[in-house]
Amino acid sequence: MERDNHQEGEAEGVKICDPPSESNPPADTLATSLSLLGNHMFPDPVERNDSATVNKEEPADSLPSVDTAEEQSQDANLDSNQVTKLEAEETENSGQCHSDVSSQSQSSEDAAADNGQGDSGEFVVTMLAKAKLEEQGIGVKGRSSPLLEAGTQESPAFISHRDEDVTADSWRQHRKHVFVLSEAGKPIYSRYGSEEALSSTMGVMMALVSFVQSGDNIIRSVYSEGHTVVFLQKGPLVLVCVSSSRQSERQLRGELLYVYYQIISMLTQASISRIFEHKKNYDLRRLLAGSEKILDGLLNLVDSDPSFLLAAVHCLPIASSLRDSLSQILQKAITPNLVFSILIANNQLLTIIQEKTVIEDARLEPADVHLLLNLIGASSAFQAGEIWTPICLPLFNPDCYFYAYISYLDPPECTVCLLLLSTDKEAFYAVAECKRKIEEAMVAQNSLSLIAKVQSYSVSQVGVSDLRHFMYKPFDVPDNYRQLTQFTSPEMEAPYSSEEEKMRLLDLYRYMHSRIHSTSRPLKLIYHVAERETLLAWVTSKFELYTCFSPLVTKACAITAITKLLRWIKKEEDRLFIRYPPKYSTTPNPSKSSRGGKSDQQDSTDNGFLSLL
Amino acid sequence: MPEMSKMKKPDVKVVLLGDMNVGKTSLLHRYTERKFKDTISTVGGAFYLKQWGPYNISIWDTAGREQFHGLGSMYCRGAAAVILTYDVTNWQSLAELEERFLSLTDTANHDCIYAVVGNKADLTDPKAQLSRDSDVAPEDRTECEEDRTEPEVLSACPTPPASPASLSGVMLHKQVAPEDAAAFYGRILRYKGLDEKSSLPAEKMCFETSAKTGYNVDALFEALFDLVLPSILRKRNENQESPTVDLEECRGTSSKRSRTSCC
Repeated sequence: MERDNHQEGEAEGVKICDPPSESNPPADTLATSLSLLGNHMFPDPVERNDSATVNKEEPADSLPSVDTAEEQSQDANLDSNQVTKLEAEETENSGQCHSDVSSQSQSSEDAAADNGQGDSGEFVVTMLAKAKLEEQGIGVKGRSSPLLEAGTQESPAFISHRDEDVTADSWRQHRKHVFVLSEAGKPIYSRYGSEEALSSTMGVMMALVSFVQSGDNIIRSVYSEGHTVVFLQKGPLVLVCVSSSRQSERQLRGELLYVYYQIISMLTQASISRIFEHKKNYDLRRLLAGSEKILDGLLNLVDSDPSFLLAAVHCLPIASSLRDSLSQILQKAITPNLVFSILIANNQLLTIIQEKTVIEDARLEPADVHLLLNLIGASSAFQAGEIWTPICLPLFNPDCYFYAYISYLDPPECTVCLLLLSTDKEAFYAVAECKRKIEEAMVAQNSLSLIAKVQSYSVSQVGVSDLRHFMYKPFDVPDNYRQLTQFTSPEMEAPYSSEEEKMRLLDLYRYMHSRIHSTSRPLKLIYHVAERETLLAWVTSKFELYTCFSPLVTKACAITAITKLLRWIKKEEDRLFIRYPPKYSTTPNPSKSSRGGKSDQQDSTDNGFLSLL
Repeated sequence: MPEMSKMKKPDVKVVLLGDMNVGKTSLLHRYTERKFKDTISTVGGAFYLKQWGPYNISIWDTAGREQFHGLGSMYCRGAAAVILTYDVTNWQSLAELEERFLSLTDTANHDCIYAVVGNKADLTDPKAQLSRDSDVAPEDRTECEEDRTEPEVLSACPTPPASPASLSGVMLHKQVAPEDAAAFYGRILRYKGLDEKSSLPAEKMCFETSAKTGYNVDALFEALFDLVLPSILRKRNENQESPTVDLEECRGTSSKRSRTSCC
């Protein structure tokens, strides 16, 4: 259904793309970009979902690269873009090039539409699985084997045959499955269904991974009709996503990375490596038991909250005077080894303050904030108490714990939450005392009732009639390099009030995002006429903007609207964003050892984060 | 000044320990909020302050998950009472207390008292299905019947015996008899090197409760709070050794001390 929408939309729509060639300077005004657009009108590349192909990485020293079906189809369309595209490819794969397992899919682009192609692709996949199982002496003998029978009952669609897809049960129809397994093939987590029941399925997944690995390759994704299977190997963990959403491989891999980070946030990378070094077939569920809901919650948030897609934090719009006064309250309630003080209302940031020496070394990454927000959401069942728990911020430092103090300031409503992060395990009482001070000051300044009045804003405040919704993410510019990446977005209002419609709009945004950030052909601007709305996405060196208009808007109207919108955002930016995150210096002697470690870590963690974008 | 702005210094510390899904959070929730509701697996530990007469009792509800095991001894430091909780329908949960949790109490006070509590008694014992709390309305209880299945499903993998038949009305097999708990209590005393005769007797320190119906929950906490009073008094007398001085408390102690010294 989704897919039909998109394709129809593209067929009707005016498709304008700005090729990212080196000679084009970043378009800073819409007018400049549009003037460039006229020269580059490209037909839409052929969708490749109809073919089942296996993409994998090859080390650079192996055979020369063979293009994937997608690349070829685009080459045909777009010769001028080839150089840039390949560069993009290279940076994304850090010098490794794509190859394609299925020989037929290399042949030509028109094979992509051939159904036989899909069959053979799946056949390859199935054979891979069988071959590996046999090699391991599991003894799969064709379809009659009880192991395989058991496997096919719960196995995701990608290894099943097309006829089995028709009898798909509700389990199979889930939009997005996520599996986590250990390198020994032991199940660790499944989004739907119990891990035990899925152990044979996960065994097959691991077989695929290790089969490709045995040829000095890394399996990255499998495409079949309607499903994308994405693999991510992180240390001793293998994460697999089986998705029937139309998200790009890169987006899905980014989501798997969030799942990995959430696991790291509970156990730390160092301890996971240590455990599996010590015992290869350790059952990690022993340590994660009870955390399933945190992972479930994360995956639900990833599906419903665009923060994850944009890798930016959504902060609650409040008058800058109120935000400043809240920041000052937090700044006055500090104790040794306190590193971050974060105030949250309705799962959105109100303000965040950081210890000065820490901010010099490293900054809090949006992904770490997302994990913290998810943890709070998933642990709020018993809200009267004060929680003290170790938590690792994987992008800050994947190997160490912070100690998080979490308490609600407005029981029993429990909308305003205080989160204090300390490096001292024993600091609970000192940190709890900070909360007492914060509470006192907030009572004195009547802050809670002011916060209670704060609401997210309506798009009507912008005053542009055709504009239905937007997401605006300013980029880090040099003068606020240390600032947390944020984005702003109004409430989703009619016609996007139902859950289905919200999801549909988000899917459209995800599609726009995947086009804009396509690895093979990144774009700067897309004007997309969909069935029930018109979208315009625009990326410059200063911001990234996604807008949704009513379907009858004209291009000229949309451009005027965006100009107005940008002016409005500029005017309101003190309210919409945390502009100058306050710093403080707590302590005579903040623990120096941990900071030394952090600065070393920072380079690698930054790189890790880039791959998520 | 609203009451929340006053810093209440805890006088004494009580810690809830036990394997995951035995119902530690639910017990505390039943006691403090008079309700049984769906809870989510606790992360780390949660701190609560309970006013008990003139005293402030801090209660630490800890996570039973192995993930947070390393923190157990931190939460137990200086505890005056430890509630070791198991699930009456799950023998392993009692065994875990002995294997994993007892050693965490090494950091507790030397005169710490121990209670052994078998929760989920309503699943095995008809008398525990009747609430002892007057304030539990009948419809409240039927609601809880449905709630119960949820955390049980979660527990399906780590504690298999507990879950499958926990449909309302079906009595589960009781895997831990009161005598087993009493025997365990004896072993705690031996582990602590305490004399059984001079310590509190097992019949007083072993409880069977139901957080779902409220059965025995108040009795447990109230008995325990009464028993830690001497420890509070001693701590107050040693107050000058405390590194921080609470002016407000000093002002209040003189009157309190005169009142409590008679009992």
